[in-house]
Amino acid sequence: MKRSRRVVLTLMGSAAVSAISARLAVARPVMCGPGYEAVPGPDGFPNCRAVTHGFGGSLHHISGHGHGHAHAGG
Amino acid sequence: MQRISCPERDDWRTTAEACGFDFHTIDGERYWDERAYYAFTLEEIEEKIEAPTGEIDAMCLELVGRAVGDERYLKRLKIPEAFWPLIRESWRRDDASLYGRLDLGFDGQGTAKLLEYNADTPTSMFEAAVFQWTWLEQAIERAIIPNAADQYNSIHERLIEAWKKLGQGRHLHLAGATDNQEDAGTLAYLQDTATQAGLATTLIDIEEIGWRDGSGFVDLGYSDIALAFKLYPWEWMFQEQFGANLLMAPTRWIEPPWKAVLSNKGILPLLWEMFPNHPNLLPAYFEDDPGAQELGTSFVRKPLYSREGANVSLISEGVAFAQAHGPYGGEGFVRQALASLRPFDGQHPVLGSWLVDHTPCGLSIREDEGPITGNNSRFIPHAIL
Repeated sequence: MKRSRRVVLTLMGSAAVSAISARLAVARPVMCGPGYEAVPGPDGFPNCRAVTHGFGGSLHHISGHGHGHAHAGG
Repeated sequence: MQRISCPERDDWRTTAEACGFDFHTIDGERYWDERAYYAFTLEEIEEKIEAPTGEIDAMCLELVGRAVGDERYLKRLKIPEAFWPLIRESWRRDDASLYGRLDLGFDGQGTAKLLEYNADTPTSMFEAAVFQWTWLEQAIERAIIPNAADQYNSIHERLIEAWKKLGQGRHLHLAGATDNQEDAGTLAYLQDTATQAGLATTLIDIEEIGWRDGSGFVDLGYSDIALAFKLYPWEWMFQEQFGANLLMAPTRWIEPPWKAVLSNKGILPLLWEMFPNHPNLLPAYFEDDPGAQELGTSFVRKPLYSREGANVSLISEGVAFAQAHGPYGGEGFVRQALASLRPFDGQHPVLGSWLVDHTPCGLSIREDEGPITGNNSRFIPHAIL
């Protein structure tokens, strides 16, 4: 017998967690250390944040066949 | 094995969207398709699919063990030398794998043949684990399929158990292309199962992974990424800006770096070399191997790296009769014997045999009018009758 189960979902179908992306213009130059970049903080003053966009570049080279945006799975 | 036409549930779209399956229709074309289902006997499932899946996985692990100890294998797979230590170290640590999907050619006659192994970033997991199970239950209730119908599917519960083993009290980050509807759906489902396993989780876009010198990979809140599930292939990460950081970071990845050996169609000729004439393998050679002449003028040509059938060509007597275009092939090609499989009502099914924690546990089927399974090939449910 390969059927004897209940499948329960807790997160899907409701409000899902979404990735937060903050891309705002830097108001004035700020010196951040190695591995950091300056980004605007919530108070309007620049914060130093870890460098991002080190992964994901290949998505922009691959066209999304029928899916709109590129699909990394297979 | 049969393909049986059947009525659709009149509310299946509403049912799909209610559980987060938003990508059931893609660009106006059906992806989920319940106008038919594939039916198998229990014997076919257990002896022709489940058991060979375990055997093929074991053969693949033996291949990895050999490859990490012999650079000739890594060279033939065109894995960049800079990442050989990463791969070797993850194998030495026995870094855990969560899942994988073997794509098998099977038509109810003979033995199932390995077409390829989606070892790193398999998708269609939600459809396989959840939605086709919902279909089974409702189709039985509505007398669409026989009351005694069953399904080869314990993926959901095995995922939860696997997360419990993998978590070890760590916070799990899940990363991928969150603006791709299908990948976002897969990530959401895996996040759901990890949460049910008791793991604290954070979903992050792959581009939002940060690097902090002296610490390693971090998320947008500067928290260290200790354990990360990625729906993003190793071969892309290796060539990207943060690729060099991989060796310095303490992050444990799912799937682990050693899976990069298997998520490569170069394993097809290597497996054939290690296990010649195995009943579940097709003859295969690297394209530049003189042994490829053994296949004659009829074969399938596949890039070492590709996904969803891109850049695959089917050649018969020297003429390509089916071809999928795409951006892959820069690392070279393999040639695999043409599997002689009968169509079902004009459709060509490919069986996706799932493993979770190296345990065979479920089946998904994609079908297409053409012989190459691509991004737009439909997902068809199955039942055991």
